[in-house]
Amino acid sequence: MSPRVPSPLAEPSFMTGLMATYRPTGGHDALVDANGQIRPVWQGFIAEAERMGADAFAQRFARADAHLASSGVVHRVYGDGDGVRPWPLSHMPVLVSAEDWAHLSAGVAERAAFLNAFLCDAYGDAAFVRDGLVPAALYAGSPEWARPMVQNGQGGGQPLRFYAADLARGADGQWRVLSDRTQAPSGAGYAVENRLALARALPDLYRSLQIERLAGFFQAFRAHLVSLKRNPDARLALMSPGPMNETYFEHSYLARYLGLVLVEGQDLVVRDGEVFIRTVAGLKPCDVLWRRVDSDFTDPLEFNMRSRLGVPGLADAVRRGGVTVVNDIGSGLAESRALMAVMPALAEKIRGHDLRLPTLNTQWGIDQTAAQWIDEHFDDLVIGSAFGAPLPGIGTGSAIGGSLSHDDRAALRQHLHRRGVDLVAQEQIKLATTPVLTSHGLVPRPFVLRVFAAWTGEGWHVMPGGLARVSDSDDLSAVSLQRGGRSADVWVLSEGPVAETTLLRGAHTPRIRRSPGSLPSRAADNLFWLGRYVERTEFMTRLLRAALARADRNDAAIYEAICATLTSWGSLAAFKPGEPPLPAELARAVLHGWDRPQSILALSRNALSAASSIRDRFSPDAWRVLNDLMALVEKPLMDALPEGEADDRVRDVLRLLAAFSGLAQDNMNRLIGWRFLDLGKRIERGIAMARLIERFASDDPWACDLLLELGDSTLTYRLRYVDVPERAPVLDLLLLDPANPRSLAFQVARINDHLTSMPVNAAEGRLGPAAALAMAIQATMTASDAIDLPRELPARLADDLMRLSEIIFTAHVQPDTGRSG
Amino acid sequence: MIYDIKQTTHYAYGESVPVSRHMIRMQPPHDDGQSVIAASLNVQPAPHERNDTRDFFGNHLTQIAIDAPHETLTVTLHARVRVEQTAFIPADDTLAWEEVVRLARESSDIGPHAPVHRLFPSRMVPLDPALTAYAALSFPVGRPVLAGATELAERIQADFVYDPTATAVDTDPVHAFALRRGVCQDFAHIMIAGLRGLGLPAGYVSGFLRTVPPPGQQRLEGADATHAWVSVWCGPKGWIGLDPTNGMRADLDHVRIAEGRDYADVAPLDGIIWSAAGHSLSVAVDVVPVSGSA
Repeated sequence: MSPRVPSPLAEPSFMTGLMATYRPTGGHDALVDANGQIRPVWQGFIAEAERMGADAFAQRFARADAHLASSGVVHRVYGDGDGVRPWPLSHMPVLVSAEDWAHLSAGVAERAAFLNAFLCDAYGDAAFVRDGLVPAALYAGSPEWARPMVQNGQGGGQPLRFYAADLARGADGQWRVLSDRTQAPSGAGYAVENRLALARALPDLYRSLQIERLAGFFQAFRAHLVSLKRNPDARLALMSPGPMNETYFEHSYLARYLGLVLVEGQDLVVRDGEVFIRTVAGLKPCDVLWRRVDSDFTDPLEFNMRSRLGVPGLADAVRRGGVTVVNDIGSGLAESRALMAVMPALAEKIRGHDLRLPTLNTQWGIDQTAAQWIDEHFDDLVIGSAFGAPLPGIGTGSAIGGSLSHDDRAALRQHLHRRGVDLVAQEQIKLATTPVLTSHGLVPRPFVLRVFAAWTGEGWHVMPGGLARVSDSDDLSAVSLQRGGRSADVWVLSEGPVAETTLLRGAHTPRIRRSPGSLPSRAADNLFWLGRYVERTEFMTRLLRAALARADRNDAAIYEAICATLTSWGSLAAFKPGEPPLPAELARAVLHGWDRPQSILALSRNALSAASSIRDRFSPDAWRVLNDLMALVEKPLMDALPEGEADDRVRDVLRLLAAFSGLAQDNMNRLIGWRFLDLGKRIERGIAMARLIERFASDDPWACDLLLELGDSTLTYRLRYVDVPERAPVLDLLLLDPANPRSLAFQVARINDHLTSMPVNAAEGRLGPAAALAMAIQATMTASDAIDLPRELPARLADDLMRLSEIIFTAHVQPDTGRSG
Repeated sequence: MIYDIKQTTHYAYGESVPVSRHMIRMQPPHDDGQSVIAASLNVQPAPHERNDTRDFFGNHLTQIAIDAPHETLTVTLHARVRVEQTAFIPADDTLAWEEVVRLARESSDIGPHAPVHRLFPSRMVPLDPALTAYAALSFPVGRPVLAGATELAERIQADFVYDPTATAVDTDPVHAFALRRGVCQDFAHIMIAGLRGLGLPAGYVSGFLRTVPPPGQQRLEGADATHAWVSVWCGPKGWIGLDPTNGMRADLDHVRIAEGRDYADVAPLDGIIWSAAGHSLSVAVDVVPVSGSA
């Protein structure tokens, strides 16, 4: 029997068609009950979708996917070739009824409070152990128990302020906790992105169904972070491992959304037990850090000495009260599987009753009776590492005993006999299913749900929604995004009307609360180099275009001269005199040369890489343009080049570069970050212009034409001079004329303007020499005359600008951190 | 036995270092087995911040930060220590090893010397089936724990070649085991990994070993060295030191400095410098018996 849609819509229709083949596999299904009737929680959705009709439904989702793609929502996948992939969003939300949600949210809040009490004990006086409620091995066995943070007798506090629970609805309909996330839970930012995309796709549906909003949760958490500040001038920061981390997108997104400074370990420094952010305006205090770096990597001095992600002295600053780290360093202790085994009994003892949400049934081999039981039921149980240390056959993960090879099974059982304390066994559960839209219509798929809770100072605020992960297969066991599957938004249906919140509007105009001067030095460097790379990309493209335009026989000498320039500037392999590459080869090499350090491909990649670590600092549109550029130059030109394809490609590249410049120029706040981006661009453009003039300045008309073309000044020249181009007026226009935006003089004037507006770090006085050098360059140019320009002047100016770049660069880069001992 | 100990550790950086931060674990503890009569730890250049404290395991810990440019760092320890003669525990006078395994696992002691801290894999000592199998040969059913551990230490001394060129300070014991070569740190890690693999708690001890010059020769100044050995938990009899490098019990020649799970917990001088250049290190140790003491 196929599921029946409620009566008003009974005639054959869009949804009926989609549901014709919907066959839950026997366990609990979210959409239909055991009799094939649509459950009440889904009836509103189905009716609304029906009203929309198939075409509108499909179109709207195409738009939602486009939104996610264009805002650059990516998930980094370890071990994959290209590293990042778009975030796959299910077109159907996971719906949770108000009644179910009341149960879940109360259970999650209760659990957060319980785990906080556990962590207080572990980092306090360990009374649970001393009173015999839990074995000492529960703490000592975990590599996450950060011994340097144990302060005997000084328990209390709030080690846990941001928590997530992974929940599964079993095939029996019961909700269970699969695991707890207490270290640095990820996914809340993705949940917001999913919500924006889905709410945009289905605005009417979203409004009419009365879905609980997410914004209040983040507002409450941010307010709590603010309340933790001791110094009113201090910054709030989110500490990220950097762009190589799988959830970096989320870090930059949340930093922007909550108005936090996004920092990496190298941006922070500890002095006298206080934490500071290294900014272009010197050290700025920071006394609240939202940590997305695992505890073991937070401080190489006290924890993992190999960590390059941390801050030496951070643990000491925490102990001395100079900074609040959220969650506390060491909070990952509460994630161990061993804890899941003792949790029901511990809750019983300290709270008088078990937790409302049951934990996955877990047995820990520390106990002889349990070890015996595990041994007897080995093949039916999910065997896992109690504290994450690798075990024979299963590594740090888990597997069903019976699924192991003969040898692995034997080795694991021997480990159980010798050191049962290292492993746990958990019940296998079958998951409930939720509907997913595929090309074959709706199908039931197993899912798990991550629910987030934030401490607000008065209690736990549970985010009404969450991140669902839905499997791509109908296998009812584990689900992991690392192994495939898609995410889904979670809609909690409200019983009453929902207040409109500012979430959507807030996302259109991100609330940047950053004040000028708090730009981390590392971000300044990346912006500076982004500016340089983008400008250099444009410049190489112009050179290539100039060469392609001179490819016919009459201009062979000029063509070769431009090719030689491209070679000496690193974007083209060397060639024999008289034998420059053919135009098609030239275009392929300069555009797509994998092996050339200055090919347009290599430069675009450098630009994208610089941009990727400062994503919180410029608009999603500008980011999208850079990605489009990368996609364009990664697309190889065909071997048999159709007429004009190279020209088209060059034109497209220049158009994207112009779009980027326009977005950066118009859409970036004129804060200090923009100055660094523009400084990079001006210095690069100045150097390029000086080098071009050095190379090509002559009385030959072709050289004058070429210089004007590369300097984008042909029109300006024609407006000013009726004659054919001549050396002196061309040099005046391209070198010395401060009114021509392409001239060297114009670049130097802008550089001067930026350097004099920088927040000079008086104590270190580092920008002093840069500003002085820029002034000297400007003075030289003002005193020069194009008629009797010294031959060596362009080369000298280029060298001066290179030196200027170095001075600016070293002013914002710290030497590498080395290690002794 | 009373010793005068002098240890000088000197770093020369290739260039001026603007900022550095170090953790120093060089001062011997004053406890049941040994008395510190006098001790001083001097750091040059003078640190901007210095904090003398104890770490989780009760070791002396000095945290320093130097924020003025410096090209060298010198840490000097002077100490006079008396190593006490403790009652000898016969190897057969300890519990069967399986019983010790059970007691350790179920222990509710969580203090600095609790067996449970030294029962699990640690940063530099993973568990490895080959090392566990090697150790298991010394632990037939019902053997007293100290008898098995002593034999294991003797086997390591016999089976392994002392070779300072074979390994480095961050060598994995699994690697050193495969080589059958290494230094005291490697042998201690190998023995610890084997014992823990069987479920027995074993810890890492850093210290000094008095060296006795060949007959008729003068002691060479600065020729002594820091040393490392293993502490094995023997149930109610507590921790007993065994030195796998020399195949013997730790005795009056062994002066303890720090104890932990492995070398990472007791590194004498560990730090971060803000510098791109390399550095050179020299360490000189003198352990001189004070005449008349015995």
